[in-house]
Formats: sequence, structure tokens, C-alpha cells
Amino acid sequence: MNNDVKKCADAPTEAPTNTPGSITLKTTSEDHLIAWLAALAIAIHIIESVLPSPLPGVKPGLANVITIAVFMLYGWRTAVWVSMLRVLVGSILIGTFLSPTFMLSFSGAVASLIVLWLASRLPGEGLGPIGLCLLAAMAHMFGQFYTAYLLFIPHEGLFKLLPLLMTAAVVFGIISGIIVRSMLQHLDKVAHDILPPKRNAQES
Amino acid sequence: MTRADYLALLFAALLLPYLYVTQWTGDEAGSAISIMNGSETTQVSLAHDHTLEIDGPLGTSVIKIEDGRVRFMASPCLGKQCIHSGWLEHAGEFAACLPNRISVAVLGKTPRFDSINF
Repeated sequence: MNNDVKKCADAPTEAPTNTPGSITLKTTSEDHLIAWLAALAIAIHIIESVLPSPLPGVKPGLANVITIAVFMLYGWRTAVWVSMLRVLVGSILIGTFLSPTFMLSFSGAVASLIVLWLASRLPGEGLGPIGLCLLAAMAHMFGQFYTAYLLFIPHEGLFKLLPLLMTAAVVFGIISGIIVRSMLQHLDKVAHDILPPKRNAQES
Repeated sequence: MTRADYLALLFAALLLPYLYVTQWTGDEAGSAISIMNGSETTQVSLAHDHTLEIDGPLGTSVIKIEDGRVRFMASPCLGKQCIHSGWLEHAGEFAACLPNRISVAVLGKTPRFDSINF
């Protein structure tokens, strides 16, 4: 009891709120988690943006590996945070914020988050990493394709590209699914005690 | 791999061929052609095989209609772009001999477009 009171009395002197005019934001451990994971996704996003692409819109989408892994470990809400922060901060750092590239990336991310939300509602054991990545990649492609069609190139001829784009989405979706699967297996083995998985908590 | 994973893979495996078939084939076959000779336009059906000889400013261009397709067979021009265009069979396809002022467009039920601007 005494100890508790003492701790409370000590707390204001420890916290850096004494400087007048400074504001200290209270951050939760969830905020820190989101920030770390989003930083990881942003780094991958930026590295990937340097890679040359054979067709506009075709990209391995490796940053989505993080989104799917976060979705499986910490649930949909955290995945939304990480994915949206990646699109926003990534575009600001590359310099494409509010440009067509950003619109495509944003709409793709929203479409794949919608699919992930639907996947989280599935009964039974639901989807594994490969199914999640595959469906998310395809949703991403549909999302950005329709945005491109509605906003930038409203011509029927664009649909001739859809089969090729969707093939790329399927191939890269399966590849990132395999990456997520081996990543989660590795995490389960090595860092089970470091990362508190909420997978079971969410299901129950 | 869960059962839902296999269903997702199956969905992708069915969607891709569907997209290729619907988007890359099924171009409407042409039913007639429109021949422009200078400012004159004439329409000719693709139903009957025959050869047309059309006189332009340079000389006579020969256009052949066969099996619902059409092509330039001979032309008095230098570049022979019109002949290299080959057989035209889908609605919207087009070949032109600019030196001889003759062009051929394949017509379908619905006109596709007559110009594209970027």
C-alpha cells in the first residue's frame, strides 16, 4: 500500500511533463507495436518502389507480407493501422502523396483490408497465410484496377490488361503467402514469448 | 493449408482462365467493310468472296474479300503499309493506303471508336 502511494507520488517527477508548454502524448504498448510494424512495412514499401516494373501496377507487394502477418498475429484492427500508415507515410517519403500512384496504392490497400475483414468473419479454421495473401493480393489488384479505370483511364481497352495484371497478383500473392507462412513458423519457434499472439484470444 | 485456402486457390485458378477468355477473345467478327476512296465512302458486305479494284490518285488498289476477311492485295504506293496490314476480320480493324487515299475499315454491329486521344 505504502509502496503504491510512493510510486504515484514519484511518477510526475519522472515523467517529462514538467517543462512548461510541452505536450506529452500518452502512448500505449499497442501504439508502439503499430509504429514498429508500420515502420517495417514502410521500409519494405520504399525499397520495393525502387525496383523496376514490367507493367504499371505490377509489383511484388512484399510490404503486404507485413499486413497479413500482423492480421494473423494481432487482428484486423492492427492490420488496418499498419496498412494505412504504410500507404500514407510511404507515399509522403517517396513523394507520391495524392498522386495517381498514391490513389492506386490506397484503393488497393482498402480493397484488401475489406477482404481481410470478410476473412476474419469466416467460420471454422478460416484461411491460412497463403489463402489470405492470395485473396488480399487479388483484391488489391481489383481495387487499384477499378480506381485506374474510373479515375485515370476510363477506356474499355484497359480491361485487356486485367488478365495479365491478375495473373501477376495471383503469382505474387502465393509467393508472399509462402513468405508469411515461413515467417510465422519461425516466429512461433523463436519468439513465442516476445510477441504475445492474440490469435487465440480473438477466436475465443 | 486449410480447406478455405484450397478454395481460394481454386477460385484464383478458375478466375484467371475466365478473365483471359472474356477479355482476350470474343472480338466481334466484322459483317461489312467501309471503303473510303478520297471523300467517297462505300459499304461492302463481307459475306461474299470477291476482289475489288479501286482507282485512286496513284493507280489501282486491289482489295480482296475472302472468308469474311478483307485485305489489300496490291497497291501502287511505295511503302505498301496497307498490304502489310494483312487480313482484317474483327470489327474496328482498319487498313489505309494514304498515298492512294484509300482506306478500309471493318464494321461490326456496334461501332467501337473512330479516334483515341491521349
